[in-house]
Amino acid sequence: MAVYIRGTGNISIQNTLGKKGIDEPISYSDPYVHCLEPDFKNFISPIALRRMSSIIKRAITASLVCVKESGIDCPDAIVSGTGLGCIEDTEKFLKAMIDNKEQFLQPTYFIQSTHNTISSQIALQLKCHSYNNTYSHRGISFELALMDVFILFKMGNIKSALVAGHDEMTPNYFLQLKKVDFWKNQITNSLEIHKSTTPGSFAGEGNVCFMLSDIADEKNYAEIANVKMLYKIKNEDELFSSISDFLAESNLTANDIDVLMSGVSGDVNTDPTYYNLSNKLFSNSLHAYYKNLCGEFFTAPAFGLWSAATCLKNNKVLDIQKLNSVHKEKIKTVLLYNQYKNKNHSLILLK
Amino acid sequence: MSDSIFVTSLGIVSGVGVGIDKTLDSLLSLYSGVGKLKYLNTFHNEIPCSEVQLSDEEIKNILNITEDEIITRTSLLGILAAKEAYDNAEFSNCKKLNLRIGFINGTTVGGMEKSERYYADFINPESNKYNGFIDAHDCGACTEKIADYLDDFDFVSTTSTACSSAVNTIILASNLIKAGILDCVIAGGTECLSLFHLNGFNTLMILDPQQCRPFDASRAGLNLGEGAAYLVLENEKSMNLRHSKPICKIAGWGNSCDAFHQTASSPDGKGATLSMQKAIDMSGLKLTDIDYINAHGTGTLNNDESEGTAVMNVFGNQVPPISSTKSFTGHTTSAAGSVESVISILAMQHDFLPPNLMFKNKIEKLNFTPIQNLVKNVKVNNILNNSFGFGGNNSSIIYSKID
Repeated sequence: MAVYIRGTGNISIQNTLGKKGIDEPISYSDPYVHCLEPDFKNFISPIALRRMSSIIKRAITASLVCVKESGIDCPDAIVSGTGLGCIEDTEKFLKAMIDNKEQFLQPTYFIQSTHNTISSQIALQLKCHSYNNTYSHRGISFELALMDVFILFKMGNIKSALVAGHDEMTPNYFLQLKKVDFWKNQITNSLEIHKSTTPGSFAGEGNVCFMLSDIADEKNYAEIANVKMLYKIKNEDELFSSISDFLAESNLTANDIDVLMSGVSGDVNTDPTYYNLSNKLFSNSLHAYYKNLCGEFFTAPAFGLWSAATCLKNNKVLDIQKLNSVHKEKIKTVLLYNQYKNKNHSLILLK
Repeated sequence: MSDSIFVTSLGIVSGVGVGIDKTLDSLLSLYSGVGKLKYLNTFHNEIPCSEVQLSDEEIKNILNITEDEIITRTSLLGILAAKEAYDNAEFSNCKKLNLRIGFINGTTVGGMEKSERYYADFINPESNKYNGFIDAHDCGACTEKIADYLDDFDFVSTTSTACSSAVNTIILASNLIKAGILDCVIAGGTECLSLFHLNGFNTLMILDPQQCRPFDASRAGLNLGEGAAYLVLENEKSMNLRHSKPICKIAGWGNSCDAFHQTASSPDGKGATLSMQKAIDMSGLKLTDIDYINAHGTGTLNNDESEGTAVMNVFGNQVPPISSTKSFTGHTTSAAGSVESVISILAMQHDFLPPNLMFKNKIEKLNFTPIQNLVKNVKVNNILNNSFGFGGNNSSIIYSKID
């Protein structure tokens, strides 16, 4: 059974929900950027909105856009990846608990603090009783969600799935991650973040949803041919051979890949892995990236998948995403590769 | 080759004891871990909980982890339980045999128990005192700490669906094995007590000031517990190569969303009904084949009535023997699914049914009463295990004896 991307919904630091998409990309000069939010009243009832935190509003809106585009209103699975879950409400409850010495607390923020609130609220909104799951595992949270539904498709358990990556960034969490070297002190132009010569990246946010379906249709964005995670690769040779093995599962070699969409983030500590991969294994592929458009966050690869799928659909890679000068007349195959701390690696093959 | 998923080893730690042997002893002697808090330092120290009776330092000693190692209690409990499953399975031979191995964990609280303690420093730009714990806070970090202690895993993953997390890890593990991606997997959940979720549940006013009484008419809420439990799951290829002995197999699973309310379960038990039905359908078993239901049975007014209604929806007038073991272990939240799976499998292995402690009077709306006394010398061939979480994340799993 083939798995296709039939619809998407994307709220990010770009105008991805609007018609312009990323054709007129916005540049930022601050290392901490928030999502551009639509007018939620156009999507969610005012009564429901009052009770929702930002991440839930965005997640539901992006899901509804995805549902509308795909025409599938109750998928067989709703699975989310989120690195930090509903961190804003978590912090609100935590702070109140500490400030008030465990007294006089209200339950609201606690109720909405768990990571699975997002998938649950989407199910509630869609009145959808199907398979529902949430993965929270650092930089591979979204890919785990994707892998879960990919297997369910392949086993014949489901015919449609809403899979998504959701993350928000609060000032306090930004500060904490800054202390452990996630972020650059300053940036001048986010769209050219790959030129940076310092460690860390800039912080983004995102709610990127995909409706997957087994129905072949010329309106589909792309086919997801395979998904794989690698853990604690010992060296570059092992990484290269693992990627070659992954491609071989689909009877492909590196030469067959038109675009390598990699996780380059402007972090001098981790970017060399991507450039080495491009230069040594994928020298005939166009090397492109996406984190200049969405920033770095645990589920940024969901934006990467959106970007790769959009490239396939439009047969176009934006100039600001290109990292080498390889030219491709027709884009037929894209490999999405991301790594987190050189420890978690993910591969998604798109056709 | 059969595509069955076999359970070949178990590990557990909870308020009723550390390890399989102690847990079995406690179940058979009706020892409950619910009591006065000793390790968690809280304003609400009158609330009974079920704590693992070891300090962080004591666990570090047992595991040969140095005192200054940055590690959360969630990870420590996880290692303690996972190591038992790992050692008993002689799991270390997997890599030598070129088997693909995974560690699939469930947690929600993650490193919160440390983060809440060090939070003032976390958010103070001038302080770098506890920076190590910032990177240990998230769920994935807790998982990797356990995985890296044990072996060089090919695959790691963290499920976070609140109180149904651990059953969902077992479902994912089964699917990864069935899909041919992994051969031998350790799956389960871990969660330590934290001020964050103790206070959270307390604001919801669903913590019983006494030992909890699941399915009793007078029930007044749940007791929180902490713990961890893991199952080793293998395909036939892995079992043959490693000469493992199967304990039981996974016969079916169901996952469904109640889609009713963020914290409350629906009165008609829709989500729970669906998850049980899906599991039974997948197993191909008849309703009368189910010998025991280990219920989610938290002891809250809402859960037990909703779950009971769902059980009646599925089984009608012939509800199998059923009990909640949460009055033994407390509600171990993200670990509950694996803690109670291990308890259920122990019952299958040792021919007994654990009672639903503290039960006196039936819930009027329900047509069944839970098991009140320990049942011994009984054949338990098929067990249905329920785990339900916030947001209506309902999961059910069936374990079957090997013919």
